Amino acid sequence: MALSLGSALRKSWQTLSSIKTGVVLIILVVIFSAAGTVILQRPMTEPDDMARAYSPAMLRFLDATGLTDVFHARWFVALMIVVSLSIIAASVQRFPNAWRYFSRPYKSPDQNFRRALPLQASIPISDEEQGLGAAERILRKHGLKSERIVRTNSFSLFSERNRISEMAVYMVHASLLLIFLGGIIDALVGWRGFLMLTPGKAGNQIEMKTGVSRTLPFSILCNAAGEETYSDGTPKKYWSKLAIVENGQEVSSKEIVVNDPLVYKGIRFYQASYGRTGKLDELVLNVTPAKGGSSQQISLRMNQELALDADTTVQLVEFIPDFVVQDGHVYARSNDVTNPAVHMVVTSKKTNATTNYWLPEISGVAENASSPYIFEPKDLKTGVFTGLEVSHEPGQWAVWAGVVLMAVGLTFVFYVIHMRLWVVPVQNANGSLSLWIGGSANRNRDAFEEKFKALVEDLRKELKPVSVLAGVQATSIAGR
Amino acid sequence: MSRAKVEQHPATGMTLVVMVGLSILFLLFMAFLNVVKTGNILNEANLLYAALVFYAGAGALYLGFGVTATDSYIKFASLATWAGLIANTAAVAHRWYEAGHPPFASVYEMLLSFVWTLAALTLIAEKRYGVKVIGTVTMPVAIVGVVLMQLLRSDVRPLVPALQSTWLHVHVTLAMLAYAACALSFALAMMFLIQDKMKTETFLAATSIFTAGIYTAILGRFEGWGGFNVVAWDLENKQEVFLSRGVRLFVTIPDLGWLMLLVFAAVLAPMVFYLLAAFRKKEVFLSIANRAVFISILLQTLALIFFLLRTRDGQYPSLDAEGLYPTALAASPFILAALVGGIFANLLYLLLLWRREDLERLLPSSENLDRITYKTICIAFPLLTLMIAAGAFWANRAWGSYWNWDPKETWAAITWLVYAGYLHMRITRGWRGRRAAYFAILGFTVVMFTFFGVTYLLPGLHAYA
Repeated sequence: MALSLGSALRKSWQTLSSIKTGVVLIILVVIFSAAGTVILQRPMTEPDDMARAYSPAMLRFLDATGLTDVFHARWFVALMIVVSLSIIAASVQRFPNAWRYFSRPYKSPDQNFRRALPLQASIPISDEEQGLGAAERILRKHGLKSERIVRTNSFSLFSERNRISEMAVYMVHASLLLIFLGGIIDALVGWRGFLMLTPGKAGNQIEMKTGVSRTLPFSILCNAAGEETYSDGTPKKYWSKLAIVENGQEVSSKEIVVNDPLVYKGIRFYQASYGRTGKLDELVLNVTPAKGGSSQQISLRMNQELALDADTTVQLVEFIPDFVVQDGHVYARSNDVTNPAVHMVVTSKKTNATTNYWLPEISGVAENASSPYIFEPKDLKTGVFTGLEVSHEPGQWAVWAGVVLMAVGLTFVFYVIHMRLWVVPVQNANGSLSLWIGGSANRNRDAFEEKFKALVEDLRKELKPVSVLAGVQATSIAGR
Repeated sequence: MSRAKVEQHPATGMTLVVMVGLSILFLLFMAFLNVVKTGNILNEANLLYAALVFYAGAGALYLGFGVTATDSYIKFASLATWAGLIANTAAVAHRWYEAGHPPFASVYEMLLSFVWTLAALTLIAEKRYGVKVIGTVTMPVAIVGVVLMQLLRSDVRPLVPALQSTWLHVHVTLAMLAYAACALSFALAMMFLIQDKMKTETFLAATSIFTAGIYTAILGRFEGWGGFNVVAWDLENKQEVFLSRGVRLFVTIPDLGWLMLLVFAAVLAPMVFYLLAAFRKKEVFLSIANRAVFISILLQTLALIFFLLRTRDGQYPSLDAEGLYPTALAASPFILAALVGGIFANLLYLLLLWRREDLERLLPSSENLDRITYKTICIAFPLLTLMIAAGAFWANRAWGSYWNWDPKETWAAITWLVYAGYLHMRITRGWRGRRAAYFAILGFTVVMFTFFGVTYLLPGLHAYA
C-alpha cells in the first residue's frame, strides 16, 4: 500500500515535471486569461451592465463557474499553484544533473567523447610540449585562459568561458517563482482602498474595495489640493499636499502628484481623483450703497457675518450649486457648480429689519430692491476634494527582485554562451603525434563554429613551420 | 528574337530606375516650389513629405526587384530608403524638440516612430543578414503608415497627468522594439516556409483565411439594409464625435455594407476552390482559385475606392442621434488599414505565385532563415519581458498596483507565454523548421491582437494607445 502510494507520488511528480505538462499548463493559463478579458468581469463592470450583456441563466452559470471574476476565482489560483509546482518540479528534476555539470566540469576528454564530439580538428605535431605551448599561446591570443590538466600519463589543455550560463535557466525559473510569491503575498495580506479628503481635513478611515472600511494607526492630513490645466483646458497636473499625523505629531509630509505617491510604513497614497465638492469656500463681492457712494470689495465665507457700516451687517446663509425654482421655492438640482445661487441676509441693527438678498435675483424670493446696499458678484470659490488611492503591497519587493533576476537570467540564457575547448596530444595508430582540438558551446553554435575554425586556423599557422621542419627531418631520417 | 529578349530585360530595368528617379525629382521639385512660397523648410510636414516620396520610390524599386529580380534595383532602393530614413529621423527629431517628449504619446507619434523603426530594420536586415527582398514587404507598410499619418491629428497635444512619467517612454520604447522584432520574426518565418517548399496553394488558403478574417471584422459594422457604420468626425475640431463619455457616435453610410458583403464572398471564394481541389483532387480548381484571388483583389480595390470616396465627404444619418453628421477617413484609420492590408496580403500571394523561383533563388537558405527567426525571437523575448516589467512598474507608480489584470496586461502576458512556449519547445524539444515557424507566426498573431484587437475590441486602462 505504502509502496503504491509512493509510486503514485513519484509518478505524479514525474508528470508534473515533464515539459509536456508545462506546455499544457501554459495553454490552460492562456485560454482562461483570454476568457477573463473577453467575458465582462466583476467588480469592474456594474451589475446593471452585466445584466444587460448576459441573460439571467447565462449570468448564473458564469457566476457559478467564477468566469465573471476569473483572476480571483479559486480554480484560477489553483491553476497558478499547479504552474508553480510544475516549474519547481521541472527545475528540481533537472537541477542535480545541471549542477553536476556545473560544479565538476568535464576537463579531460576520453576517447569516446573525442570521437563523438561534432566540432573537432586535428593538427599533426612533432612534440607534445611544443604543441600544447603553441595552443596555450593561441588561446591567450583569443582571450581565453587555459589550464593544464595532468593525468597519470598525459597532459592536456582545458579552457572554458561563462560556465554560469548553464545555471541561467534556473535563474529565470526562480525569478518567476519569486514574482508568483510576491503576487501571493499581496493577494493574502495586501489591500487596496480609497480615501477622500478636503483641504484642512484629516482622515484615517480607508474605504476598501470590498466595501468594508479599514482604520489606519495614523491619519493623513490634506493641507491643500489643486489642479493645473493647459491653455486648451486639458488637465496638466493634479496635486495634494499631504502630511502624516501620528500620535498628534506630523511625522512626514509631501506634495503628491499623479505618478509620484507618498509612502509611509509601506502604505502608499496615490493621487487618484480630484474634483469640486459643491460647497462654497469663499465669495467675493463688490458692495455699493443703494443711495450712491464709493464701492468696496468684501469676501464672505459660509454663515460669516460682516459689518458694512455702523448699523448694517450682511451674512451669507445659503449656497446652492445648481438651483432650480419651483412653486416659489429654491431647490438644488445637483451638487455640480453649474448654476449657482447665493442667499445673503442684510440686517439693520437700529430697525431690526432684515432683507433677503439673492444673487442672481430670483423673483418671488429676492427682496434685493429694498436692500440698503447693492451687491455685485466678483468671484466664487468652491471647495475641492482630493481622492487618494491607498494601497499596501508588501509583496511587490519580491516581484521587483524577481523582475531583476529574470532580466539577468534571460541575458545569460540568450547572450552568454558557455563555451569549452579541449586540446589533447594524441598518439595516432601509425605512431605519429597530432594535436586534437575539440570545442562545444551550449547555444549560438554557428557563431561558435566560426570562432573555433579561426582558432584552429591560427593554431595551424603557429605550428606550421615546426611541422614542416619536422616533416623534413622525418623524411631525412627515413632517407638515411 | 531571342537576342531582343535578352536585351529587353536590362532595358526595362533601367527604365524603372529612371522613372522612379524622375518622379522623386519631380515631387521634390514641386515640394521645393511650395517651400519657396511659404519660406518654411524645416517643418515636420515637409520632412514627412520627403520621407514619403523616398519611401514610395524605394517601395517601387523593391517591388520591381521582387518581380524582375534585377539586382541593380536593390542598390537604388537602399539609397532611397536611406534618404527616406534621414528625412524620417529629422521629422522624429523635430517632433521630439517641439513636443518636449519622445514621440510616443498619440497614435500619430507612435506611427511616426513605428515607420522609422521599420525603415531602420529593413536596412539592417538587408545589409547585415542579406535578406534583400524584405523591402518588398516592409516599404509598402511604411508608405501606408506615412499616408495614415497625414489623416491623423498631428498637433502637439500636452500630456495628461498619468502619462507624465519617464517610465512611459521606457515602456513604449521597449514595446515598439519588441513588436518590431516579433514582426521581423514573422516575416522571416514566412520566408522560411517558402524556402521549405511549402506548397503555394497552402499560402493561397492562408491568404484567403486572413483576408476573410479582415472582412469578418469589418462586417461587424454592417447595419440592416446594407448600411455600413463608421465613427462620425467633427471636422472643425478634428476629432471623433462622442455621444457621452467614451461612447462614440456612429453614422451609417447607406449601401456600402452590400459592397463589403460582396467582397467578403469574393475573398472566401479562393478558400472554397482550394477545398474543392483538396477533396476532389482536381488541379483545375486550383487555377480557378488563383483566378478568384485576382477577382477578389479587384473587388477589394473597388471596396477601398468606394470607402475612400464615401467617407471623404458627405453627411450621413445616425441611428443614435437626430440629424446628419459628417465623417472622415481619419475617423476610421483601422478600417482603412484593414482594407489596405487585405489587398496587400493578396498581392504578396500573387508575387509568390508568379515569382516563386526567383524568390527561392534570392532568399537565404531555409536553415539560415530558421536560425535567424530563432535569433530574432531571442531578441524579442527579453524585450517583451522588460516591456511588461516597465509597464508594471509604471502602473505601480500611477495607479498603485503593479498588476490589474486589465485586458492589455493580460494579453501582453499571453504573448509572453506563447513565446515562452516557443522557446521551451525549441530548446528542450529541439523543435526546428516548420513547427517552429508556425509557432513564430502564432506569436505574431497574438502580438497583433494585443496591439490592435485589445485596444479596439476590449475595454481597459490602456485608453491612450
